[in-house]
Amino acid sequence: MTASTSGQTSLLAGLSRDLAATVEQVGRSVVAIHGRRRIPSSGVVWRPGAVVAASHTISRDEDLTVTLASGRITPATLAGRDPTTDLAVLRLDDAAVPPVDRGDDADLQVGRLVLALGRPGPQLTASLGMVSAVGGEWRTWQGGKVDRFVRLDLSIYDGFSGGPLVEVGGRVLGINTSGLSRAVALALPVSTVERVTDQLLSAGRVRRGFLGLAAQPVQLPDPLRSRLGLTGRVGLVIVNLESEGPAEQGGLLLGDIIVALEGHEVGDPSDLLAALGPERVGEPVAVQLVRGGEIRTVNVTVGERPARRGR
Amino acid sequence: MSVLALELGTALAGVADLLRRATVQVQVGVRGEGSGVLWRADGLVLTNAHVAPAGRARVRISDGRVLEARVVARDPECDLAALLLPPGEFPVAERGSVAALRPGELIVAFGHPLGVPNALSLGVVHRVLRDDTGAPRWIQADLRLAPGNSGGPLADVSGRVLGLNTLVAGGLGYAVPVPVITRFLERAGPPASGRRAA
Repeated sequence: MTASTSGQTSLLAGLSRDLAATVEQVGRSVVAIHGRRRIPSSGVVWRPGAVVAASHTISRDEDLTVTLASGRITPATLAGRDPTTDLAVLRLDDAAVPPVDRGDDADLQVGRLVLALGRPGPQLTASLGMVSAVGGEWRTWQGGKVDRFVRLDLSIYDGFSGGPLVEVGGRVLGINTSGLSRAVALALPVSTVERVTDQLLSAGRVRRGFLGLAAQPVQLPDPLRSRLGLTGRVGLVIVNLESEGPAEQGGLLLGDIIVALEGHEVGDPSDLLAALGPERVGEPVAVQLVRGGEIRTVNVTVGERPARRGR
Repeated sequence: MSVLALELGTALAGVADLLRRATVQVQVGVRGEGSGVLWRADGLVLTNAHVAPAGRARVRISDGRVLEARVVARDPECDLAALLLPPGEFPVAERGSVAALRPGELIVAFGHPLGVPNALSLGVVHRVLRDDTGAPRWIQADLRLAPGNSGGPLADVSGRVLGLNTLVAGGLGYAVPVPVITRFLERAGPPASGRRAA
């Protein structure tokens, strides 16, 4: 081996040592969660005594245990879960396990070298790759709000869901999950994990606004639009009202066509979801609608979405 | 372009070059090809048992020569086979330490996946699976392998061989680690063990 080759090889060897050291350091805060019949899933000690995990990997609410990095198995209780973002938080009796060092969403850059860690059993495991795409806020198929879209070019192996996404310096940039997309590896960014963890630790659940109606988009006829001065081409026709739900109690009727909430046009049912964050629960919302060819405004008090059985 | 990234690229090319010299292509009959590692300078080649059934195999070494080799030891249970080339002096790979391997360490695989000659893939140690006695049984690798990689080297980034790439399961590569190979050769007796025949 020539001198220059050996210099370059030691550069690679140095990178290799750094990666292994990062894995070892962050791995102290990565636990195995025994909450399903299959192999254990992964979790991260996010705050002292609080473990973040992927909701879909925990199939029961009780009788949960956790294997710590030391190999010790300790009981855990479910503080709460939010299936819409696929996050769950567990409380540990043992507050001595160090929480991870968190980065922030600004560290999520395309091309950044990252590690995914998992503990699908007593042993720590790792994979290497990079952040492949970063986008803005999006909604999961269950309607949960995620602050950044984070796609990974790395392998999320069986049991990796709930494990940390780590930049090579050792700061955690998110939680990996395969529960929100079958096709690609995704991570939930730190901002989303913090927000959901706050809510699960304080209330045991993520509150969501609820109107108790189902609606589908309909084209608004041009003469109607020009007569009523409507700018949107599409409204949402109410096709179902939950008995004694907020919408029914507020006086909405089957066949009403919702055109705006609080003055903001709605053209897709997801616009309703987006307007029903936790802060709206208990607050009145002005619903503009077309009924019998006339425009009206009806005030509805936003309720809280009842808990669903779901993972 | 950063100097560091360029140097890393050059360093990887250096590792590939080291491994290329000690990696062979194993051909048996009309079956597909596998890879192998020159283990001893006298021409002992290690590969997987599923690459080399008993009998003879053709081995293409890195200088392009195709040599007839004899299968001198074979153990389907640990999926290893030892082949002996005609007498000569051959380049061999250094061996690395499996005992000290940690998850996240960079590793490379070299071989001939899907018939593509001399292909390098880069990844990290996923974990080392051990038997009841704590001895390494498999190195699980987070890197891309394909048929044709079988029998080829898994190595650290200094080009030191850690094991033989053997199978893919659940998206992970599995390599038979050096200690298992060493025990296989000891069990096999001469000429695989290198001891003189009695």
